[in-house]
Amino acid sequence: MTRSLLRTAQPGPRRAAPGIVAGSLSALSAVALLAASAYLITRAAEQPPILYLSLAVVGVRAFALTRAAFRYVERLASHDAAFRQLAVVRTELYRRLVRVAPAGLGRTDRGDLLARVVGDVDALQDLPLRVVQPLVVSGLTSVVAVVGVALVSPAAAAVLAGALVVALVVGCVAADRLARRNERTLVARRGALSTAVVDLVQNLDVLVAFEAVEAQLGRVATLDADLRRASSRRALTAGVVAAVLSALSGAAVLATVPVAAPAVASGDLSGPAFALVVLVPLAVFEVVGAVPTAVLAWRRVRASGERVDSAVPDEVPVGVVDDGAVGPVDVDAVAPGRVGADAHTAEVGPAPGGSTSPASSATARATPPPALRLRDVSATWPGAAGPALCGVDLDVAVGDRMVVEGPSGAGKTTLASVLARFVEHTGRYEVGGVDTATRPPAAVRATVGLIEQAPHLFDESLRQNLLFARDTATDDELLGVLDRVGLGRWAAERGGLDAPVGERGALVSGGQAQRISLARALLRGFPVLVLDEPTAGLDPETAGRLVRDVLTTARDDGATVVVISHVEVPADLVTRRVRVEAGRLREIEASSSVDSDGGPEPWVRG
Amino acid sequence: MKPLDPRLLRHASAARVFLGLGALLGVAQTASIVAVAWFTTSAVVQVVDGRAAEGLATTLLGLGVSVAARSLAAWALEVTAARAAAQVKSQLRARVVAAVADRGRAWVDRHSSARVATLVGPGLDALDDYFARYLPQLVLTVLATPLIIAVMASRDWLSAVIVVLTLPLIPVFMVLIGWTTRAAQARQWERLTRLASSFADAVAGVSTLKAFGRERRQVERIGRLTDDLRVETVTVLRVSFLSGFVLELAASLSVALVAVSIGIRLVEGSMGLTAGLFVLLLTPEAYLPLRRVGENYHAAADGVAAAEEVFELLDDEHGVARAVSAGPPVGIERRSVGAPADALVVDRLTVDRGGAVRLPETSFVAETGRVTAVVGPSGAGKSTLLDAVLGLEPCEGRVVWRSSGRAPARSEISWSGQSPRLSSGTVAWNVALGEGGEPDAAAVVRALDLAGAAGLDPALVLGAGGEGLSGGQAQRVSVARALYRLDRVGSRLLLVDEPSSALDRITEARVVAGLRRIAATGVAVVVVTHRRAVSDAADLVVTIGGAS
Repeated sequence: MTRSLLRTAQPGPRRAAPGIVAGSLSALSAVALLAASAYLITRAAEQPPILYLSLAVVGVRAFALTRAAFRYVERLASHDAAFRQLAVVRTELYRRLVRVAPAGLGRTDRGDLLARVVGDVDALQDLPLRVVQPLVVSGLTSVVAVVGVALVSPAAAAVLAGALVVALVVGCVAADRLARRNERTLVARRGALSTAVVDLVQNLDVLVAFEAVEAQLGRVATLDADLRRASSRRALTAGVVAAVLSALSGAAVLATVPVAAPAVASGDLSGPAFALVVLVPLAVFEVVGAVPTAVLAWRRVRASGERVDSAVPDEVPVGVVDDGAVGPVDVDAVAPGRVGADAHTAEVGPAPGGSTSPASSATARATPPPALRLRDVSATWPGAAGPALCGVDLDVAVGDRMVVEGPSGAGKTTLASVLARFVEHTGRYEVGGVDTATRPPAAVRATVGLIEQAPHLFDESLRQNLLFARDTATDDELLGVLDRVGLGRWAAERGGLDAPVGERGALVSGGQAQRISLARALLRGFPVLVLDEPTAGLDPETAGRLVRDVLTTARDDGATVVVISHVEVPADLVTRRVRVEAGRLREIEASSSVDSDGGPEPWVRG
Repeated sequence: MKPLDPRLLRHASAARVFLGLGALLGVAQTASIVAVAWFTTSAVVQVVDGRAAEGLATTLLGLGVSVAARSLAAWALEVTAARAAAQVKSQLRARVVAAVADRGRAWVDRHSSARVATLVGPGLDALDDYFARYLPQLVLTVLATPLIIAVMASRDWLSAVIVVLTLPLIPVFMVLIGWTTRAAQARQWERLTRLASSFADAVAGVSTLKAFGRERRQVERIGRLTDDLRVETVTVLRVSFLSGFVLELAASLSVALVAVSIGIRLVEGSMGLTAGLFVLLLTPEAYLPLRRVGENYHAAADGVAAAEEVFELLDDEHGVARAVSAGPPVGIERRSVGAPADALVVDRLTVDRGGAVRLPETSFVAETGRVTAVVGPSGAGKSTLLDAVLGLEPCEGRVVWRSSGRAPARSEISWSGQSPRLSSGTVAWNVALGEGGEPDAAAVVRALDLAGAAGLDPALVLGAGGEGLSGGQAQRVSVARALYRLDRVGSRLLLVDEPSSALDRITEARVVAGLRRIAATGVAVVVVTHRRAVSDAADLVVTIGGAS
């Protein structure tokens, strides 16, 4: 059963109660302030001894105070409750994410998707604050006010109740309808205009060079005029709901007068009580005015909830390795950092632990079961029509330095995702002779390390970004590993390990980010390291240097690496080359490997 | 924040119109509010005094009409405000867009192109709230509050005095509390921002955390961090909400003050019930606009900030390097095979931006009919060289045709830059950029084929920034765009930046062959490249920066 994240967004009754109680007391104080003032003045006009008025005088002053004081308490209490709940919502979201990420998150623009999810999750706070709170307070206040008026004059109470019901219906239905129309007519136009502006601003050079600036300006102007016309038409409905509510409040007063007047004439209702029941609707309607806003907030919150649910599903989609299914195995929980990795590699991997270059150990070479063995492995991404990888047989021996090439979309990233146990496969995939299907995915990942195409750098210092791979490492070790990935001088220039890397690594270049994540992986000492297109988005020269450095480091360590890249690589740095095409894998003999100036080219010499 | 920025009135005429109309509607709304209070009072007094028979119906009719009028006026004010918002946004947008086109890339870069795009798009939408919720209340504060106080004074000057004395307390206290809050928030701002962004950071990095087996520890950490965020935020809110508290307290205490003072004078007999009730009903109305201004202050501040950012953009003409003018449109003699040989002379060209040398002095001659390759390490200035030839980058030195001695006109150059920079629309539309009218389908296919993108569907629709294509595909479309222009406009100079970096060797060879064929039709081809396969095929290799 799929459970919407929205359900976790509302605090339980006990946690929500303080805010709701304070809010209702504040709203009722406002109603009582008007009621008491009206009573006081009308009663005073009858010129009784002033002592008779003292209660009303005290009431007026007290309600004036409690209205403001309770309102302050309400805002604090409800915000506090909403934030407490936010912790629950975020934790729940993260639990889901951990189960499905990254393969269950769709294949394109994951970064964008996650950024939007964060915004949407935080928007769920509005459920308790801007939806439930005002609706419950309006409802409670209305009921108490109607009951209070009924004690004085049942006829007036009936009028008030009728007007409130109409107001609530109009408030909810009309506000909802208008918002829907608004979204339909405006959102698409707004999007089109925004796109045209982005095209103009970001592609200005191209537009200038192609003499297309005027045309683009025309495009923007047309879309802008279109949006302006639509907005102006839509403006007619702006404020309709508020105006109707204000009219209803007047109508309630208007209707109460003739309904309650006969009781005054017959002496059943005193003058001051009459003034009270006639004027109370004014104050009640001011409280109810929050309903349309709450309805609009509900629309937004619901949309946010739906977006989160569809982006990060509660159930693990078919084709995604479910991390939750095998039980709570946490590599960290077993033993932090390096030791944890070793503990697992001792059971799972062929490589012994102990050094940062596990595969270099002589014992590992002496007994060489393939580090990785794939037999008839196929894999299909969730929601995809066909398999991205089919019938792959592959053996990676300890100490292999393998390059995987192939056109984009051929299945290279799928292969990496299968190796790291992100995407589920059919067929058999063994690590160190043990079938991975019988192991927790986290344990496999302790042996087979993956550096993703766009590895994430945390918005912390360089030190923190490295330490998270192995939190027991000393500064010397960290500097040493930075040296090995060619960042030693750069780090020193940046001010050493305390240099910030910026939000999403904004302060480092793409090549440096890849090198930092390589350093991280070296520090962790994965027995087998898989690099998924470390060169994507790098200029050709930087890309070439990076891959050469990765392979050289691996060669010096005798490490086992699988590099996915289309960069030309010198033959002496790799031991194996395979090519993935249309989901199938084939070996390329070492002899046909090319370096940069090989191969006959059909030049047309002018 | 200034309540009303005079620059808004200067830059957007719709805002001026709104203020005029809004003032009229504000007066109408105030009049109807006073009428509602008056007729409500009359109705109550008539019934209480037992005079219900005489003209209660007339009073209720008056009440009905004035209630309707009040709603109508409020609605009209909102409609006016919403329309004004749409028009003002449109006017400001038009100004920024015009400035972008006029002031060129260097100016856009200085203000960050992403920021400019966001500001003109969703950023300006913050003005909606400013117009819908804030400005009308500001107008009412200026108009309705004095009018209502005047009406109150005509009936009971003492109550009017109470209101006049307490009213200024609200802004004074708000400002005082605003100052304290700012100090408190400034102290905690950094910590708050960090706590707020750490969740986003953990979410964005979830697969990296999984690859390192660090994900489960995060679950607990997120709960803890969010709770820290709560504690910090509530500490700040405790102070922030004080301003709302003062606002409410001042308004409701004043009502209480007025009510009690009226009550006492009624008992003494120095005042009538009609005057007392009427003034009581008007008192909250005197505070209402100011209360609303306070409540909507933050929503409005976003709008004002967006508008101010626009004004800053518009006012910043400092150091605008006018994009090199395209020169007078040259009569394009359509290029024909065998046209007299010419050459582009690049003579001691340097680019220096803000003291940093972007392109060291470079000279070469690119003959028509030949392929000239530009090579050199990353960051040496190869792409800058192309920008300078294009006139996109201010430079020193000369770039002229040998025959005429004048700089190449825009229409004589076809260019494909380092980043593809595609626009939303179909692939065909992108390829035929700048042509206007329907793209020539056959020419589009030919250009795509030449660029090594034969398999790409010209009808494929791309999103903003060419979204929907891989980096390599986008690069090929960009090359095809230059080739299409070359074909259609008849340019004599083709500048291409890394046309083959994302291609396999076989396709690359085809592209290079294509470039040679194009050169053979009398075009000077200048290609920036890292690939040996390309530079080997060139007639002339120009090395920029470093040793070759």
